[in-house]
Amino acid sequence: MTDTIATSPVMYPRRKRKLRGSTIATYAFLIMCALFFAVPLYVIIVTSFKTMTQISEGEIFSLPREWTVEPWFKAWNTLCTGLECNGIKSGFFNSIQILIPSIAISLILSSITGYALALWNVRWANGFLFVLFMCAFVPFQIIMIPLIILMSRTGFYGSYLAVAIVHAILAMPLLTLIFRNFYKDIPQELMSAAMMDSGSFLRVFVEIILPMSGNIMVVVLILVITSVWNDYLVGLTFAGFSAQPMTLILANAVITSRGEVIYNVDMAAALLTAIPPLVVYFGLGRFFVQGITAGAIKG
Amino acid sequence: MPNIQFNQIVKQYGAVKVLENLNLAVGEGEFLVLLGPSGCGKTTLLNLLAGLLEVTSGQITIGDRDVTDLDPKDRGLAMVFQSYALYPTKTVRGNLKFGLVAQKLDRAEIDQRIDWVARLLRIEQLLDRKPSQLSGGQRQRVAIGRALVKKVGVFLFDEPLSNLDAKLRTEMRLEIKKLHAELKQTVVYVTHDQIEAMTMATRIAVMDRGVIQQIGTPDEVYESPANIFVAKFIGSPPMNMLEVTLSVSGDKVTGQHVPTATAIDLSGYHFAQRPESGMAASVGLRPEHFTTGVDAAGGQAAVFNLPLLYTEKTGADATAFMAAKDELMAARIEPALVGRLQIGQPVTMGFPSDKLNVFDARTGRRM
Amino acid sequence: MALRWSRWSPQLALTPALAVTAIAFAGSIGWTIWMSFTRSRRLPDYAIDPAEWGRQYNRLFNDPAWALSLGNLLILGIGSMLAIVFGFLLAVLVNREKAGEGVFRTIFLYPLAVSLVVTGLVWRWMMNPSLGIENFLHQLGWKDASFNWLSAPETAMYGIILAQVWQSTGFYMALMLSGLKSINSEIWSAARLDGVSPLRLYVEIIIPMMKFTFLTCAILLSLGVVKAYDIVVAMTNGGPGQSTWTPAYFTINAYSIRSNIGFASAAAVVMLAITLVIFLPIVGLTAWQTRRRADRA
Repeated sequence: MTDTIATSPVMYPRRKRKLRGSTIATYAFLIMCALFFAVPLYVIIVTSFKTMTQISEGEIFSLPREWTVEPWFKAWNTLCTGLECNGIKSGFFNSIQILIPSIAISLILSSITGYALALWNVRWANGFLFVLFMCAFVPFQIIMIPLIILMSRTGFYGSYLAVAIVHAILAMPLLTLIFRNFYKDIPQELMSAAMMDSGSFLRVFVEIILPMSGNIMVVVLILVITSVWNDYLVGLTFAGFSAQPMTLILANAVITSRGEVIYNVDMAAALLTAIPPLVVYFGLGRFFVQGITAGAIKG
Repeated sequence: MPNIQFNQIVKQYGAVKVLENLNLAVGEGEFLVLLGPSGCGKTTLLNLLAGLLEVTSGQITIGDRDVTDLDPKDRGLAMVFQSYALYPTKTVRGNLKFGLVAQKLDRAEIDQRIDWVARLLRIEQLLDRKPSQLSGGQRQRVAIGRALVKKVGVFLFDEPLSNLDAKLRTEMRLEIKKLHAELKQTVVYVTHDQIEAMTMATRIAVMDRGVIQQIGTPDEVYESPANIFVAKFIGSPPMNMLEVTLSVSGDKVTGQHVPTATAIDLSGYHFAQRPESGMAASVGLRPEHFTTGVDAAGGQAAVFNLPLLYTEKTGADATAFMAAKDELMAARIEPALVGRLQIGQPVTMGFPSDKLNVFDARTGRRM
Repeated sequence: MALRWSRWSPQLALTPALAVTAIAFAGSIGWTIWMSFTRSRRLPDYAIDPAEWGRQYNRLFNDPAWALSLGNLLILGIGSMLAIVFGFLLAVLVNREKAGEGVFRTIFLYPLAVSLVVTGLVWRWMMNPSLGIENFLHQLGWKDASFNWLSAPETAMYGIILAQVWQSTGFYMALMLSGLKSINSEIWSAARLDGVSPLRLYVEIIIPMMKFTFLTCAILLSLGVVKAYDIVVAMTNGGPGQSTWTPAYFTINAYSIRSNIGFASAAAVVMLAITLVIFLPIVGLTAWQTRRRADRA
């Protein structure tokens, strides 16, 4: 029969990926939503660099005509909260001094507790885990007053440590569960080998388990940083006058302002308060997502 | 090297008794293999010995010490695990060192031991690598090294070769055997693989459902299995079991096998107790003892003439499977013979009278 | 002696956590419940008058501000559900078009890194009638536009809901996204082969498969709504009047402004009760589900 194989190659043009209508619509919608989420941040940033004259003209979305850094300095140094006008800088340093002990206490307490519950034979471990699970949902208000009394009786009330301790207490159930679930995934044989070799609770933790905990430590760290830095209520309740975190000073400044509201300074102060966790977020975003979903999908 | 004693061990989980009144003695320097199918309790027994599990009741002694209430690290044991269980964030050297530091040895002694083990197991080049950078065989050797470096008298192995490929398994079997010959520790070794048991053990304890079915040397367990379970567990392909009815007249004992209409002459078999006519028994015939050949020469307990179903060749061996009514009878044959046989054609096989195994059909025990 | 150390050392290590649970949680809850039956005002008074044990609760239920708070709780809860719907929608869309998933996820999630105080302030600023979005719309020519929700009692809660939804949608989107990803990819392929329309696929197959994720989101949202305090302070400080009071705000107010421990404790106990009502069904449901799975296995 005749050769049916084509001898002259027909060149077909390269198939272009058809841009489906639904794809365009999807992206359009997603971009609009992204704008919805991005706009407030844009507004804060833009307002904080504007002069008050331009702000009073009311064009909230317009870029500054002349960019001024003055609101930022004012926010930092001379922001007024009630009677004092010392700026938000004290709040910044207070927040840091609250954050560090918080991190230390939370990480140590929750990791060791999670480790003990996950990898050691404790008969009442499951019962305790269930109790912890319930404690994670308890509203702050029901334990607030006794904690205040406890803090004042022990002399901690109004100090950085008081706020840090309360944060650690509130976070303990959730963080312990997170650590426990992570440590549960460690193969049993590894612990058996460690028991045969050393059998020491602390030594096994420090030399074997802790080096394996890098990932979860970052996740927990991010959770603690965001919840402690962004907290308002615990700071309001336990910080007294000398340990007020940034959010507290910010809120006081805006709520108790009398007379004219200085928007650009307020926005600069708000931005200053928001920047540290945002930096952590944009810097370690991958772990952040892991952290939230780890925090939500418990047990 | 210490000996080990298990006295009246009971291990219970809630209402389930995994081990009940188990007694076992392991001699000094012995290589005892706990052999059995999954769930037979062999790993439980090992973990009880290690101290990773607590006995419900009973006593365990190592040497002259009662270790029943001691922590694993105080019992003077070392263990090698199925998945090696190497510490992932430590180097090989760190893995070897970890247990030694707990024993509070001085640095010179520790370094000396590590060097000795590294040379012994040929892992000197690997000392600074992490477990994730090692192959399966290398990891296994480091795991063994980690146990060796503790210089204790008792070694426990929990199915250490099951994660290795066949070739490595053969190599490691030899290696472990060599180590035992050289260092002479008391070894308790758990496996479900009978080849490992047969090649490495000085004695095998065959277990099923929490009970030791038989303890004996590999030869004893192979040639004189104590019950049907052991008989069928050891040997591949497994022993053929024929249900017979005994008829005794004088010194002559015959087992009548109905499906193949064969009378098996059991007169040459050494019965523990005088059998009686009418008793139901199981006659065990190992595939490797069948003889081919048309002559029903003397010394044959039975001659079978059965149609061939199929054959299997494995290079060195061949097995013929014949139909015994609804059951299969396996017999080892010369590989060369396979070409001369035809499927469906009857094959004549003889079985020698000195290789018989007879079991009580009711209790399963050897008669 | 030696064996016991391996039994005792973990239990020893657990004592701090046990102490915290016993004192700070169990003990505190018990104390507050006790207080809710007393006449404590600024200082705790441990005496309970058996004839009038419920007096704080009576006061509570007769307080119009409390009824208002509970009502607001419901409104906030239902309104915030928008965040779940919105989050699901975003998750679906982001999941479909693989390109840019990382970018979109970053943008949708960053509000979670922002304090509720800052969030509240910014939205309050944007809802300012003369300088905010309303003014912006006016300048665009839409003279009748009104975005001044925070100034009127009827609409103030909606302003709070909007800010809440802005803040939390990304979170629910992330949960939904992981839920979507856990669905076997072969289901999508089978649907394409069968020619099932996307809407039907989602409604009849995907959403039912994600029941557990939805439930988790609903529970978390409810619990978050019960705790709503920061955002109220930042946006309206309870106003106008008391129209944006929430139970959490009410309780704090009862303690710090009205200085009435007994009263605040009663409010807190009711908050706990509400939390239990939300929480116990999931515990029951997950326990029932795990038992079903165990029976089937």
